Amino acid sequence: MSPDKNICLMTHMIAGYPNAGTDFEVARGLIDGGAGFLEVQFPFSDPSADGLPIQAACMAALNAGFRVKNGFELIKRIKSISDIPVFVMSYASVVYAKGVRPFVREAGRCGVEGLIIPDLMPGYDEGLFQIGAAEGVHIVPVVPPALSEARLSEILAQNPAYLYAALRVGITGSRTEIDETVFSSLARLRGTGKQVFAGFGIETRAQVISLAVHADVLIVGSEIVRAIAEAVKDGKQVYESVKRKVRSLLEDGATVETEKTE
Amino acid sequence: MKVYNDFFGPYGGRYVAEVLHGPLAELEEAYKAAIADNSFREELDRIRREYIGRPTPLLYAENATARIGGGRIYIKLEGLANTGAHKVNNVVGQALLARRMGKRRIIAETGAGQHGLAAAAVCARLGLECVVYMGEVDIDRQRPNVFWMELFGATVVPVGSGSRTLKDAVNEALRDWASSFTSTHYLLGSALGPSPYPDMVREFQSVIGRETRQQLEEAGVNAEALVACVGGGSNSIGFFSPFIEETTPRLVGVEAGGRGRGAGNHASRLSGEGRPGIVHGYKSLFLLDDDGQVLPTHSVSAGLDYPGVGPQLAALGEAGRIEFLTATDSEALAALKFFAATEGIVFALESAHAGAAGMKIARSWPKDRSVVINMSGRGDKDLFIAARELGAANWAEFLKAEAARCESR
Ligand SMILES: Cc1ncc(COP(=O)(O)O)c(C=O)c1O
Repeated sequence: MSPDKNICLMTHMIAGYPNAGTDFEVARGLIDGGAGFLEVQFPFSDPSADGLPIQAACMAALNAGFRVKNGFELIKRIKSISDIPVFVMSYASVVYAKGVRPFVREAGRCGVEGLIIPDLMPGYDEGLFQIGAAEGVHIVPVVPPALSEARLSEILAQNPAYLYAALRVGITGSRTEIDETVFSSLARLRGTGKQVFAGFGIETRAQVISLAVHADVLIVGSEIVRAIAEAVKDGKQVYESVKRKVRSLLEDGATVETEKTE
Repeated sequence: MKVYNDFFGPYGGRYVAEVLHGPLAELEEAYKAAIADNSFREELDRIRREYIGRPTPLLYAENATARIGGGRIYIKLEGLANTGAHKVNNVVGQALLARRMGKRRIIAETGAGQHGLAAAAVCARLGLECVVYMGEVDIDRQRPNVFWMELFGATVVPVGSGSRTLKDAVNEALRDWASSFTSTHYLLGSALGPSPYPDMVREFQSVIGRETRQQLEEAGVNAEALVACVGGGSNSIGFFSPFIEETTPRLVGVEAGGRGRGAGNHASRLSGEGRPGIVHGYKSLFLLDDDGQVLPTHSVSAGLDYPGVGPQLAALGEAGRIEFLTATDSEALAALKFFAATEGIVFALESAHAGAAGMKIARSWPKDRSVVINMSGRGDKDLFIAARELGAANWAEFLKAEAARCESR
């Protein structure tokens, strides 16, 4: 069965995880598994919006010596084998340390489509949105559910092309119950005419199916990281494991369980 | 000074994920309204008197002064506040505010455990649920406070991520709050974090400085320097606050010099290697590497090893109104010993850093000049560290016997 063409997945990965070099294998596996977009997180020592799987992966990458320049090199390498759109996710500290403009420029030079920096939001963004517009790099705001109209307008005033809809409040790493309130908050954001990415807590094929028509792109994060951690622990090939994981979200029947029993 | 500033020169702000912008805006409004409300201030005054035991004394440290033979040393005995440190001043203010806002659950981070302890105690008193996040390293070195927090009915959650100290406990509290804000108030323990915390914590701690000013006036003392230790910065900014818009006295903040220079050996941000950054929701000076990664720190005191400093202190430091010095681990331990021997007072290890710097200043001064040291906490919690570091006689034997007694129960 071929991957479901109606669903576009943005898969999340962490630069430098499980180590320098194998991170590129992760990217290849995600692409070959059928991901439509890549989100590459540059690890930060204090990822306060992330749950345990991503915290642990970021810490492992940093302990193994990850530097921001390695992250940009990884992206150049990915762009040399694929024209898949790549988004970089990180925290304010990492962007601010390099300087907002130099960071955005470097991202642009490496072919990055957009940046997701959850703790640089309108009003306190250090010029990120304006610099992104000037440098041709999209800035993607993360929008929680039930955001006030006033605040949503402030965000839309930055004229973002994409909105990252968090499917629930809280942090990454635990499953989201998909219900009517999720659909209605997605509908509200789609009503703005922006492309809507939806993420936080998507782990299963069933969730992907129920969300597919409600967003333009679905983001799978911690679940991919967990698949990598498991592959590393079991001594399996990371490329294959990741590829199969993406497939299992895009196709019926290609479940993780089959992978485990092979 | 305005009660709400958001930014202090280049520092401060509210750099958080969007999900927390709403709760912080709500908190800002509630704080401004409460501060302007007489009934809130009266209730706060009453709890300060009846529960905290304010005003705390200002002691003329006669023997210490004579022994040093220089300027006169005064000590603001903030450690006599109920629960043993200044932290309770802020806790009481924020807990009353939380109750006004209808939040029945309190979360807090703690390093030395003094903030957690104060939060647990005040929650017991006000009938609020309390969860305290504490790094595993800090739990190991400040175990007695964990015991008291649990006795007060709080849940102490060990934090095993990152460096397993105060900064990681802040992360964990922020993670909790990102989904619990409807029912929960995050009771941040120092003058840092996203606005309105730095302003709010300063206001609730400014009682230290106001009392000191009045006590000095009553005693007819012209203090030429005020000295306080600086972890995140709450006791210092509260102590300094009535004076920061004036040109005197000298205001001296003392950071943890630890074992000496070099990343991982100290927590000196202003007097050391801090650089501008954005961490934990605010812009200030932090100990960071070139990539913006937070560097490891060290101090003998669990309350001074935080890698950042409150934004107002950073701004006042750069503007030159506050000077920053360091005291090393061993200088702090020596000061602890000195004031115990001369005055019968046990400084908390954090406060002993201020004690050490105050001694140096007094030593360099003639007898007619006066310095005030803020003893932010008393050292009961440090019994185990102090006994070990100062080589108490037969201490290991005592611990072994005590362990045997516990096991045979
Ligand atoms: C007694 C005492 N003093 C000082 C501090 C440092 O905090 P701050 O700089 O916020 O006063 C602590 C923190 O745990 C403390 O327990």
